[in-house]
Amino acid sequence: MSDEKVKGAGKEPLERVRIGLEVHVQLKTNTKLFCTCPTDYRDAEPNSNICPVCTAQPGSKPNGLNATALDAIVRIALFIGCRVIKGEEVRMLRKHYFYPDLPSNYQRTSLPVGVDGRFASIRIREVHLEEDPGRYELRDGQVDYNRSGIPLVEIVTEPDMSTPQEARDFLRALSLALSYLGVARDEPGSMRCDANVSVGEGTRVEVKNINSFKGVYRALDSEIRRHRRFQRFGKRVVRETRHWDEAKMITIPLRKKEGAADYRFIPDPDVPPLVIDNALVTRLEEGLPERPTEKEARFVKRYGLDPYTSSVLVLDLEVADLFEKVAKRTDPVTAAAWLKDELRRVLNYNNLRLSETTITADEIVEVLKLFRDGTITDLTARRLFEWLAAEPRSIRQLIGRLGLGRIAGEDELTRMARQVIEDHPKAVDDYLDGKVNSLNFLVGMVMKTSGGKSDPKLTRDALEKLLGAERLRRAGDSVLS
Amino acid sequence: MVEGTREWLEGVHNGSVTAAERVEGLLETIKVSELNAYITVDERGARAAAVAIDKTIAAGRDPGPMAGLGISLKDNIAVRGLQMTCASRMLADYVAPYDATVTKHIRDAGAIILGKANMDEFACGSSGETSAFGPTLNPRDPKRVPGGSSSGSCASVGGGLADLSVGTDTGGSIRCPAAFCGAVGIKPTYGLVSRYGMSDMAMSLEGPGPVASDVFGAALLLSVLSGADPADCVTSEPGTDYTTAATGDADGLRVGLVKEFIDGVDAPIARAIKKAGRRLEKAGAELVELTIPSVRYAVPMYYVVMFSEFSSAMAKFDGFRYGHRGDADLDGLEVSVSRTRSQAFGREVKRRVLLGTYVTMREHRDAWYTRALRARSVLRQEFLDRLEKADVLLGATMPCLPWKLGELVDDPVSMYLMDVMTVSANLAGVCAGTVPVGEHKGLPTAVQLHGRPFDEGTLVRAMSAVEGGR
Repeated sequence: MSDEKVKGAGKEPLERVRIGLEVHVQLKTNTKLFCTCPTDYRDAEPNSNICPVCTAQPGSKPNGLNATALDAIVRIALFIGCRVIKGEEVRMLRKHYFYPDLPSNYQRTSLPVGVDGRFASIRIREVHLEEDPGRYELRDGQVDYNRSGIPLVEIVTEPDMSTPQEARDFLRALSLALSYLGVARDEPGSMRCDANVSVGEGTRVEVKNINSFKGVYRALDSEIRRHRRFQRFGKRVVRETRHWDEAKMITIPLRKKEGAADYRFIPDPDVPPLVIDNALVTRLEEGLPERPTEKEARFVKRYGLDPYTSSVLVLDLEVADLFEKVAKRTDPVTAAAWLKDELRRVLNYNNLRLSETTITADEIVEVLKLFRDGTITDLTARRLFEWLAAEPRSIRQLIGRLGLGRIAGEDELTRMARQVIEDHPKAVDDYLDGKVNSLNFLVGMVMKTSGGKSDPKLTRDALEKLLGAERLRRAGDSVLS
Repeated sequence: MVEGTREWLEGVHNGSVTAAERVEGLLETIKVSELNAYITVDERGARAAAVAIDKTIAAGRDPGPMAGLGISLKDNIAVRGLQMTCASRMLADYVAPYDATVTKHIRDAGAIILGKANMDEFACGSSGETSAFGPTLNPRDPKRVPGGSSSGSCASVGGGLADLSVGTDTGGSIRCPAAFCGAVGIKPTYGLVSRYGMSDMAMSLEGPGPVASDVFGAALLLSVLSGADPADCVTSEPGTDYTTAATGDADGLRVGLVKEFIDGVDAPIARAIKKAGRRLEKAGAELVELTIPSVRYAVPMYYVVMFSEFSSAMAKFDGFRYGHRGDADLDGLEVSVSRTRSQAFGREVKRRVLLGTYVTMREHRDAWYTRALRARSVLRQEFLDRLEKADVLLGATMPCLPWKLGELVDDPVSMYLMDVMTVSANLAGVCAGTVPVGEHKGLPTAVQLHGRPFDEGTLVRAMSAVEGGR
């Protein structure tokens, strides 16, 4: 179809935008959806985690459906408010198209497992199960089937979003919810999305290949601008599927809807229909975690946190859980502030999840207690968070090792530094005469005295402070003499 | 009594003949045969397996229930390390990287795999003539077709080139050639025998099954093949020993004479059915007359469902991972795939892929595919209902004697209509078997029995009663 003139176009004010999303999420399972191959497709040698099933060798058949994947999709459906299809047959369909990443040239995709949900103010049309295809490198014509058969959940929304920002917010909320469930692979690229967008009464266009939250925003922004531009010039937007080119920051046509691929869906005769029973749904429903929004509200109400702090804490379920443990034993508001700022900063900096460190609630409580009673300074407390993240050690050990403790008002480190200065007058003279290297010698001596337990940076700071005072003293002496 | 599977087994067991000697005899017969029953003969593997069996017997260990019997497998079943051509140019050089579940069972049972049997290309045919490796000939009359698609399986058994064979049956592909070659064949209930490792034709209809020279042999092989398999999720039932049912008596059995499986068949076949009925009565059965009206529509139902599933199953053959590859890389993916497929698929395969693609297209699906599925459930219900009134159903396997080679090759519709008696068992998911009853002018005549789902025991019993009067 060619672009046609639309009567009166170009005169309307900005019209309502409708955005619907189809979000694909890779599930975290040990084995693939229909065979027992491992699901590591990132680090494994290409085509090492494959078998006759996931490469569609003649005669191979899908083994039974992965039960972990089924649990995962039911939990997702329940968590985003869907009605789970219970006691009815849910068929696995074959969606046919020829592409080298698809070993059988059809993709298995189920009918809806859950329908009519609502999540983050957006209506959810359905969720269903799919198989991921392999990875095809167009340039060198090679396919890696390690990914072939990894379970995917597709979440389809109604077109309830009206700005790119809303779409991004929805995806963020969804991603957070999935992290609470612990069912999705937490790696980059494990969440992909297609967006349907229409402007005013204009035609709906599908944009594929969006792989990040930022990408969603940019792709939609670019596509909406294109629609508006067309309408301003009185042209009709063609109904089609477009491809988001992240590098060029534009969408490009993939295929016209009129000649759209006919996938010739048929029920897969090799996979018996799925029947989800009441008992399974009840069991999974009981095991669902508190939703992030509920947790956020509860933190405000129960612990007196300000809404912003609460909203930040719930962004990481592990941190939120740690907060609750700590909050029972110390002042919640102080604890929240420390966890929100320092703990999260340290985790982000080290690119670690809390569970990948050995940090415990006891340690946090102790650090906060030491800070509160004046044993350690604000700076020391921060450094303790850093060290806690880096290696498992008790707080007391750390304080000892770092020479961070203040003892009877005098810093242990300062005491040692003073002794070293007294013992090495020549080096002090050299330093004060401008031989900066002498400082390194003094630092080394303090380190030796402390048995290597002092922190070089802090030692240097302490020495510089004392030597500065010495310089002042000598200057004063010379003036007086 | 004529020597049969039982006697062969006993011979190996009691040492009157070694497995190595049996296999040598079979390999010799295969070598001089002109039936074109095999695509691949694994002489080395067969000899090695025979030696191993003889050692096991000599050591006093259990060599397995099929020890020393030579077996052929239809060439759409995976045997690790052997070619698996499906009788197509597409897979002419494909070597199976794994064993089908039935292949494992056969090895475990002590049978000796002789080789891979010829067949219609990708099981598309009722005459054994569409193989890319040339037609199989009928062992009773080499000018006639052996039936299809398990042509080589049944010709190898009928021609003495194998003691047993594994065929596959999607719409009669075991029963048709078994009837034409004078062999016994069983299409087991859908879900009794694992399909893992059997190349797809129409997945909701088919499965592997036994071919043998007598009912005992077919029951023995069925016992070995059957049982639930985690690798094939449509299997659920455990297998059992069906040989004990091959008693020859039919005491108390109710046998339904199905009008639709009797009316209109050629006279020699009609006489065979009468004869089978008399033998069953003599063995203690009671005959009742029945009709199954939906059988009239079985052929169109079958072909629509089969075409649809076949076109889906064949999509994997694009030349990228294995098999023939058209040299069209520079012209892009679509051209490459089209060229690969147009070069390597035969006419009947292409016809079925195209028809299946047509009937599953969005605008045609409801008129054809969806409707066929609905009709199929009506047919299944009618079958289950009649199998309440009778324990087994009796009728023809094929409506006629084997026709001459080339006679129907260019008349696909007439060829399709030859499946009228066999497709119902696949559509209904029940079990069925064919037994030779006699012959007419040197050509075998056979009857077919249908049984309840997973009631192969009763089916075998009735088949043995029909055979017993021989």
